Formats: sequence, C-alpha cells, structure tokens
Amino acid sequence: MIQLLLFLALGLGLFIALYFLMRPAVSAPGSADELRNARLALNVLQTGLLSSEVVHRIFAKEDLEYVSDGPMEIRNLFVAERRRLALLWVAKMRLQILNLRKFHLGSARFHAGLKMRTEVRLAAEFLFLLFTCRVLWLALYFRGVYAAPAIVERATKMAERVCAVSETSLGFLNRSLDSLRNDSVRNPTLP
Amino acid sequence: MERPLDRLIYLASTRDYNSGIYYHDGLAAQFTEEVASEALADCHRQAFHELLASPLKELVSQFESYMESTPTQAKDFIATWKKIEPYRVAIPVNTDPLSAEFLFSNFKIALAVLEGRLQSHPKAEPGAWPLPSLGQ
Repeated sequence: MIQLLLFLALGLGLFIALYFLMRPAVSAPGSADELRNARLALNVLQTGLLSSEVVHRIFAKEDLEYVSDGPMEIRNLFVAERRRLALLWVAKMRLQILNLRKFHLGSARFHAGLKMRTEVRLAAEFLFLLFTCRVLWLALYFRGVYAAPAIVERATKMAERVCAVSETSLGFLNRSLDSLRNDSVRNPTLP
Repeated sequence: MERPLDRLIYLASTRDYNSGIYYHDGLAAQFTEEVASEALADCHRQAFHELLASPLKELVSQFESYMESTPTQAKDFIATWKKIEPYRVAIPVNTDPLSAEFLFSNFKIALAVLEGRLQSHPKAEPGAWPLPSLGQ
C-alpha cells in the first residue's frame, strides 16, 4: 500500500513538473516579430490604406463623369482600373487588420492591460470589420466601384476605430523606444 | 515650375538611381549637400501628393501641357511613355504602394485619353474631349 502511494506521489510530481515545463513563459509574452508586425500593420493602415486622400480619389465620381464624356473604350479602361484599385485596397486593408487581430489575440493583453470588456468589444469589432471587408470586396467585384459608398465609409470608420485602440495597445512600445532613444542620446556608447 | 507633373519629373531626374540622394550643384554650393538633398526630397514628395490629389481632368491637362513643352512629337511621346512607363521611377522613395499604384493607373488612363484625342482630333483645347464629328 505504501509502495503504491509512493508511486502515485512520484507520478503526480512528474505530472506537475511536466505541466510547469510545458507552460508558456508568462514573463516574456509575444515575440519581437509579433510586435514589429503589429506596429508595421498599424503604420500601413494609418499612413496608406486609411489615408482619406487616396480613398477619396479612388472612389471619386467626378473622374467617372469626366471619362463618361469620352469614348466608350476609355470609360471601360477607367472602370476596370478603378475596380482593380478598389479591390486591391480592400484586400490590403483586410490583410493588415488580420495582422493587428493576431497581435491582439496573442500578446496585446500582456502589454496593454486591457479590460475584459474592452477585449470582448474589440474582438467583436475585428470580427464585424473583417466581415464588412468581405461584403465590400464582393460588392466591388460584382457591382463595381460606385455601388457601395456607404459600406466603404463604414469600413473605413471601423478600421480607424480599431487602429485607435491598437495604437493605445502599442503605446508601451513607443514609450520603450523613446526611453531607449533618450538613453542613447545621454550615453552615445550604448547600442 | 507651376505644374506638379513637371516638378515630379524634374525632381526625380535630380535623384541618383543608386543612392536615392538628390543632387543640385547650385543649392549645394549655397547651403550644404545634405540640406539641398533634403529640400529637394521634400519638394518631390509635395509634388507627388499634389498629383495624387488632382482630378483626372486636371492630370490630363497637365500631361498635355508637359507633352507640348518637350520637343518630341505627340505621337512618339505617347508611344514611348506607354512602352517605357518612365513615371514608375519618378515617384519619391518610401511612397506607400497603393498611392503609387493609383498614380500609375491615372497616368495610364491619361495617356489613353491623349492618344484617343490625338487619333480623332489632332489639336484640342487642354483637358477637353474632341468634338463629335458631323457623321456621329
């Protein structure tokens, strides 16, 4: 009986040791790659894909009105080019949003200290935004660039909101970089 | 230079293909090479953004004026630009890919408009479409 208890205790001890060995390290959550990708995705969205200048020009109706006064082949070329650009825009936006979502699903909570409620709301926003991107892509593909201006506006607004939350989540990275820069200014020998 | 297109082409020509650094002897002599290069890069980016914000009609008009300012015949100019696509190397470095792609697309359409105009009406008012012929 004592022998059995000893074996059980040993087995339990091994099981606990195995659990602790297999558990991911809490002290270093999220790899540098993940953080860098999230920062990059945020920059691409904020400076390129959500830049109102480009989005406004892609969907501007005045250009369509201008080419509509000309020959049909030029109008067709224009419509095809705008459609290609609009689809490219949606696809790129969706990809960067997926990158941001990956960051939030993975390691954002360790750094940003988001509340549970905020996390749930953010998850819902990501889900709805990705769904909207899919709907928008289909609308642009089948019905053309000027078919869904309301969805374009909604997707842009939602993406901007998600970016704002992500910016807060990545704020710690900016602070760390700032302090590193200040340190290197104070002590130029630091790497 | 008033037209952003002229500025874009000129400023791109002052940039070294290998290093991406802008050179201007006059400015470098007056200030320093670094300052001159930075100033030219800023102007280049500004010209690019002005072109990006231009409606297609305005871009066609700029293209036509630029074409007329060169000694090359319109037909040859359009053929060369369609073949070589020199505008692809005329944008500033670190331009976001979607903005670049949008401008290239607009250039392509503008060239098609000018080509169509040239075929149906050799000389027309800048930015305007050719008048329909009597037969139409």
